[in-house]
Amino acid sequence: MTKFTSYINVLLITVMVSSMLIGCDSGSETSLSENSIIYCSEGSPETFNPQLITSGVTVDATSKQLYNQLITFNAIDNAVSPSLAKSWHVTRDNKRITFYLRKGVNFHHTQYFSPTRELNADDVLFSFNRILDTKHAFHQVSGGKYPFFQSVGFSNLIDSIEKINDYTVRFNLKRADSSFLANLATDFSVILSKEYAEQLIKSNQPELIDNYPIGTGPFKLKEYRTGSFIRFVPHEQYWDEKTTLSQLLFDITPSNTGRLTKMLAGECDIIAYPIAQEKIRQVKNLSLDQVTAFNIGYLGFNTTRFPFNNKLVRKAVAHAINKQAILDTVYFGDAEGESAKTIIPPSSWAYDNSIKEIEYSVAKARELLEQAGVEKGFTIDLWAMPVQRAYNPDAVTMAKLIQADLNQIGIKVNIISYKWQEFLRRLALGEHHAVLLGWSADHPDPDNFFTPLLSCSSAITGTNRTFWCNKAFDQIIQQALITTDIQERKTLYRQALNILYQELPLFPIAHSKRFQARTNKIKGKLLNSFGGIDFNGVTKN
Amino acid sequence: MARDKIYLEEEFPSPLLQLWHNFRHSPVVMIGFGCFIFLCVLAIFSPIISPYSPINNHLDHLLLPPAWHEDGDVSFLLGTDNLGRDMLSRLMHGASLTFGLSFVVVIISLVVGVFIGSLSALTKGLKSSFLNHFLDVILSIPSLLLAIVIVAILGPGLNNTLWAIVMVLIPQFIHITRNAVEEEFQKDYVLASRLDGASSIRILSYSIFPNIIEKLISQATLAQSAAILDIATLGFLGLGAPIPMPEWGAMLANGIDLFYIAPWTVYLPGLAILFSVVATNLVGEGMRHAIKQRKVN
Amino acid sequence: MLIFTLRRLSLFVFTLLLLTLLSFSLSFLFPGDQVTNISGQLNASPEHLEMVAAQYGKHESIFIQYWRYLTHLFQGDFGISMASQLPISEEVLNHLPATIELSSVALLIAMLVGIPIGFIAAIHHRKVTDNIILSFAMIGYSIPIFWLGLLAILIFSIQLGWLPSAGQISLVYEIEQRTGFQFFDILLSDSPYKWQAFQNASAHILLPACVVALAPATIFIRLARTAMLNVLETHYIKAAMAKGLNYRQIIFRHGIRNSLVGVIRDVGLQFANLVTLAMVTEVIFSWPGIGSWLIESIYQRDYTAIQGGLLALSSFIFIVHILTDFIYASLNPLAREVHHGSR
Repeated sequence: MTKFTSYINVLLITVMVSSMLIGCDSGSETSLSENSIIYCSEGSPETFNPQLITSGVTVDATSKQLYNQLITFNAIDNAVSPSLAKSWHVTRDNKRITFYLRKGVNFHHTQYFSPTRELNADDVLFSFNRILDTKHAFHQVSGGKYPFFQSVGFSNLIDSIEKINDYTVRFNLKRADSSFLANLATDFSVILSKEYAEQLIKSNQPELIDNYPIGTGPFKLKEYRTGSFIRFVPHEQYWDEKTTLSQLLFDITPSNTGRLTKMLAGECDIIAYPIAQEKIRQVKNLSLDQVTAFNIGYLGFNTTRFPFNNKLVRKAVAHAINKQAILDTVYFGDAEGESAKTIIPPSSWAYDNSIKEIEYSVAKARELLEQAGVEKGFTIDLWAMPVQRAYNPDAVTMAKLIQADLNQIGIKVNIISYKWQEFLRRLALGEHHAVLLGWSADHPDPDNFFTPLLSCSSAITGTNRTFWCNKAFDQIIQQALITTDIQERKTLYRQALNILYQELPLFPIAHSKRFQARTNKIKGKLLNSFGGIDFNGVTKN
Repeated sequence: MARDKIYLEEEFPSPLLQLWHNFRHSPVVMIGFGCFIFLCVLAIFSPIISPYSPINNHLDHLLLPPAWHEDGDVSFLLGTDNLGRDMLSRLMHGASLTFGLSFVVVIISLVVGVFIGSLSALTKGLKSSFLNHFLDVILSIPSLLLAIVIVAILGPGLNNTLWAIVMVLIPQFIHITRNAVEEEFQKDYVLASRLDGASSIRILSYSIFPNIIEKLISQATLAQSAAILDIATLGFLGLGAPIPMPEWGAMLANGIDLFYIAPWTVYLPGLAILFSVVATNLVGEGMRHAIKQRKVN
Repeated sequence: MLIFTLRRLSLFVFTLLLLTLLSFSLSFLFPGDQVTNISGQLNASPEHLEMVAAQYGKHESIFIQYWRYLTHLFQGDFGISMASQLPISEEVLNHLPATIELSSVALLIAMLVGIPIGFIAAIHHRKVTDNIILSFAMIGYSIPIFWLGLLAILIFSIQLGWLPSAGQISLVYEIEQRTGFQFFDILLSDSPYKWQAFQNASAHILLPACVVALAPATIFIRLARTAMLNVLETHYIKAAMAKGLNYRQIIFRHGIRNSLVGVIRDVGLQFANLVTLAMVTEVIFSWPGIGSWLIESIYQRDYTAIQGGLLALSSFIFIVHILTDFIYASLNPLAREVHHGSR
């Protein structure tokens, strides 16, 4: 008898203690989570230096949080506006640009670095020389690839960067470039600390510069556990308006449903790329943000490998794909995307209304395949990106639809997917036949679609995953860059778009909106038309 | 009718038949058995009786809820998924993949396991002792973990999953056959036929097998419920059947992204797995109960 | 007891050797180049590959290769993960504690719930209660764990909002990693929010642990029920009854104690089962344990990680096995006189 009662007692006590542990959320609990924002992001950053990458997930985690650029796009009309440079001056021939730096800008003070001086011209020189000067001590650290800058041809454009005095820097260009300022305002052109770099050289661990970042941004890195979370804390000496948050957390949650579940269970304040948006709209304390983004989701063909080295096969595939079905299924009709006729969205000034849609016609596809004279019944590897992007919220489903479509014209499709970093790495090696990918513009200039996606130079650096290199096309887009007259540029881009229509190195699928869901406690603007998420000025109450 | 005849002839029914008599006394078990037969029929005839193809996309009927829902459509009785594929047809085809293949897997490992097991029962000494130790180590590793290991070696895919599960199940059958055969060999009737000069193989096939077959069948039902769960789990984890296949586990994994807008894409495959495992377990349970009854009688 | 210990230890060493042998042979079975797999780099330079090959004795006989492999293992060197570029040993140490925590809590729940219910079923043998318990046990045993996990999240996290759905602890609590075991780390930390963190961590572990515990709990129900029934049929119970003890006294004084011994023997076996269930559950609850890491490694085709992770996990399972054997033996002297190879 006694044994039983004691057992029951133990059980009761366990239940009581555990309910105590769980049940009573004391008042001080709120104080900690009240000022912390948990953002459930869709993937791990590859590095903490946005100079080295073009992927959106890394930009989201680094650019606007840890760093500042010389200039930035303002939120209202996307015009360039001051940031670390309080003003600038452009000579009439567009070849010399002088930046006047802000004074009193502090770098992050962390466990691994204590700055002794404020930002000055040396830091600006260091940040850009690292990219431009192949003999620079830090150029080869982390692989020596600067895909964004290589794709826009930075090293061919910039003649020299001069330090006029401690707070004045001048860029001397070899030729006029109408998109130069826009390029400097992108998320990739961040300013690093030279003093930190020198400290790392002394301690002989230069590779830490990209993993333990020091910047001037509103937040500093506290802790990163690979594949799990990133912890940011506020930068107390931030030069601009300081954040009111006590912590910013990136909870890395690659699963779509996982993120939504966390949001519904109240474990995330903001989630990236929400699925099931009707559901979110139904829940009272959640809201959806959307911005019309400058982007394109496409099916890229590897033009260096059989069968897509043949233009006719590319076209046949394009005709065989039921684009409307993809829009309905993956983008939920017009709610999230619009059908893309070419690589630039209609809202860009370089858009050409006369470009025709490639019609969906299985008969035509068969005919083209016949013409191409390739052997019937071949198999292709279609790579579907494993993460969600605004331009492609669900690449695997899209791949499944394409698989069914291509089956009708006798092409078998293997769907292949790796973890994001692995995916990008293998993609750059050209292991794919075709890939579902996309591109988000970094700035409003139309060149940002052409050069990084399809130029010969970016075929080498790897942002051009079709490996397509067309001399005529390249010449046209280069010509368009040195021209400042907007009408002339328009005509040139029109020609370029026409070549794309003829050659079809990639099949444009959709332009989409970028979405984010948040609880109503979170106030402030998070998303811009360009670039990554921005947590400065976001509050929680 | 058949039963009457047996009693008229005053003949002892074979162990299997005796088992059946005990087996059919419990209504719950008979329901389970009925479900089991139903699943078998479904697994064989699903390509003929399913209303649509399991991979055909009905793009104008995306995410249709089941027919009893107010937005449902009777022509898609259990609704459709995000690619407009008919859930009912997919579940039916899934029966032949998840349930049917688990059946095949169990049969293969049964045959191989019984063969090796009875051979090893006839051997003695060091070889046998080593086998025993080895089996002990293998059997202490959970079947799913072992299957995951083998899939890791062979690479993901449905075929590899099946081989992995076969390899996992074989030791179990070896073990049970070996023990059962050795146990039977101790009995007097075996001694009697041995004295008659029967060879070991003859004793094995004429005297022992009819007496241990019920044990094997009972083990087979256990193995099958494990096999169904393993195939589905591997499919769910993305290590088994590839995405477009209507394997129940893979279907469920596919449905997860639709969980909040189309919950039936998650509920239905899960229910199907539960249903088939419960049916299999009921049969097995009834079998074991019947064996016990027979021993008591 | 000494002989028993020695015998167990020799079995332990033998099995560990067998496991390393299996793990070693995995490197031949895996697709791809062995040396590349070990080096952890897909684009390693030929010099680097040559160095790794020399280290592992890849040009020499297979015995020497195995020997080199063993020495590397003893130095705690499991190779380098291709996906994260971290040493596998570090990854395993990062992930294994979370799995141990989850499975231990689940085991505790399964035993605390399963065994008493099993006893109740045995006491009400062949009555309505027994049948209801057995039917529930049957369903609990048959339910696919990933489905159960999803339903649990839907009900308890989203509709009722009682328990969190993912992770070990809310990220707002900053807990320094010392032992790797979340609960110990919290208790060791000097955070002013220690108790809140502890509450939070307890809330996080409850749901996944219950999901993992369900199937083992049903097995414990059956084991406990059978054990109790067997005990109730023994002569000493009959003697006790003849002495005039009432039913309650018999159950509590003799029944429970003696049948518990029988149940404990199977705990080790159940633990292995439980770890597998935990692996799947970890994926659903984004629990940062070794199961989700291992499955992720399979997706990545990170063979060195699979090899090292499996070795670590199976050795762990085996160690628990041996430990429960010891506990059982210390509780039940009869078990120490087991004969060769007839466990």
